Amino acid sequence: MLSRIPQLLFYGLVSGSILALGGIGVSLTYSILRFSNFAHGDMMALGAYLTLALIPVAGTLGIPSAAIGPLSFGPRFIVAAVVGMACTFVIVVALDRLIFRRLRKAGRITLMITTIGIALSMRNALQFFWGPQPQYYTARIQLAIQVPRLAIRVKPDQLFVISVAVLLVALLHLFLRYTKTGKAMRATSDNPSLAQVTGINTERIILWTWVIGASLAALAGVLAGVENKFITPELGWQMLLSIFAAVILGGIGNPYGAILGGVIVGVSEEVSTAFISTGYKPAVAFGILVLMLLIRPTGLLGRRS
Amino acid sequence: MSLLTVDQIVSGYGDMEVLHGVDLRVDPGEILTIIGPNGAGKSTLMKTIFGILTPTAGAIAFQDQDITGLSPDRVVRLGLAYVPQVENVFPSMTVRENLEMGAFVLRGDLRERISRVTELFPVLSKRWKTHVGNMSGGERQMVAMGRALMLDPQLLMLDEPSAALAPNLAATVFERIEAINESGLSILIVEQNAKDSLRLSDRGCVLAAGLKCFEDTGPNILANEDIGRLYLGGE
Ligand SMILES: Nc1ncnc2c1ncn2[C@@H]1O[C@H](COP(=O)(O)OP(=O)(O)OP(=O)(O)O)[C@@H](O)[C@H]1O
Ligand SMILES: [Mg+2]
Repeated sequence: MLSRIPQLLFYGLVSGSILALGGIGVSLTYSILRFSNFAHGDMMALGAYLTLALIPVAGTLGIPSAAIGPLSFGPRFIVAAVVGMACTFVIVVALDRLIFRRLRKAGRITLMITTIGIALSMRNALQFFWGPQPQYYTARIQLAIQVPRLAIRVKPDQLFVISVAVLLVALLHLFLRYTKTGKAMRATSDNPSLAQVTGINTERIILWTWVIGASLAALAGVLAGVENKFITPELGWQMLLSIFAAVILGGIGNPYGAILGGVIVGVSEEVSTAFISTGYKPAVAFGILVLMLLIRPTGLLGRRS
Repeated sequence: MSLLTVDQIVSGYGDMEVLHGVDLRVDPGEILTIIGPNGAGKSTLMKTIFGILTPTAGAIAFQDQDITGLSPDRVVRLGLAYVPQVENVFPSMTVRENLEMGAFVLRGDLRERISRVTELFPVLSKRWKTHVGNMSGGERQMVAMGRALMLDPQLLMLDEPSAALAPNLAATVFERIEAINESGLSILIVEQNAKDSLRLSDRGCVLAAGLKCFEDTGPNILANEDIGRLYLGGE
């Protein structure tokens, strides 16, 4: 049982990377638009399906599908995923213009219910077009490689998932820390009315928030598909509890907290399977969520108001 | 020609009218202090001038340009800067970042502006990387004023700059305000306990229950017994 722990830690890092990418968007939306986006999981699924739809399109453009090195996918898939991320944020920005923009002054409950409505519509639209059955990005089978001395087996795809997450988290950090727009985003999250007083155009910051949040959500959905080997319309919705647990654990409104929380929740969920049945995985996220709300509702990195 | 003209402004929050037709004038280069009891509508007036609240009647002009109903991010570009009474800093950002945000609407190098602000508030230069949320009330007030000055505005609006500060710190703040004014900037101050502020003001006015009820030169207001008894805590 304990001998499995190193392996489970590794799995936890993989799923934690995906949760972190999903959590960043939830956290940014919460801190800038001030509501909890229950459609975030379905934005992940949307990204995963748009990528699926774009693979043949990339094929007609002559982008080769041959796998890169030991990975199970090639340039065609990567191009499809990048364009899929862009299409996702375009759709999400359109939803903001169409729906959320009219509700900027609405209360949290109204907004929360709106996001639930969007979540249901999005998921059912995916199911309408692609059906409820699993879809596959690739039929290739990838064998895990035994890492010498560490008692773990690792698939190249999993290392890819972790590396992409680390890369994007680093890019996000540089963006928030050093660019003018990134600083304006932090300022808006810190004190929205003062941000306006300094001349920051809040609508532009909201646009950036959706672009970043939706792109990373789409990427998380695609990476979940790479890791699980299949996608379903439920993919994001099923992860939403873990994502919210991660975001609250880290401190809601703090994107760095979402990253830390994602890794902790991912690792806890995986490691728990050494002790309890896999079926209880969601209970682990739920347990973390409840525990955190009881002892430290502001989260690990959250600031006291 | 006056710098800022407020003409019969009616404003408030939703259905609640707080200002019932207020007139105000700030001349170039002067310090004007608005005094008045709690809840008189002083902060509401500042917020309305800056476009955070939209007036339901009346007009506001800055340098003969009509700015009634203009949003804050537009107003700030015209040369007005505003330090709110509360929550006037970005707590999770560093001192330097707070100052940078003050010049958000500008492009290009900020070093010269930053060094000018640190000449006025030397304490800040030692605290560049400190998160403002971890600073004391007095230091925060310096950051907030520094942030507003980054734009090199023509009119600086300060809402209770000395509130909640120890007397010696309040004195420092007023001393800085005087120094800023000597460089040619006009200043509009709201103060509740306003003796210090009136002492360095060219003019002062009293706002009570949403109406301006008195206006005179700073020294005259200080000498006025009725106002002293009503609004300046007596003698
Ligand atoms: N955000 C708000 N929403 C609703 N009512 C408000 C709001 N802010 C202030 N008020 C009300 O408007 C009135 C005027 O408030 P304002 O803050 O302008 O007073 P003030 O003169 O600045 O007082 P103080 O000296 O306490 O700062 C008060 O009755 C107050 O309760
Ligand atoms: Mg006030």
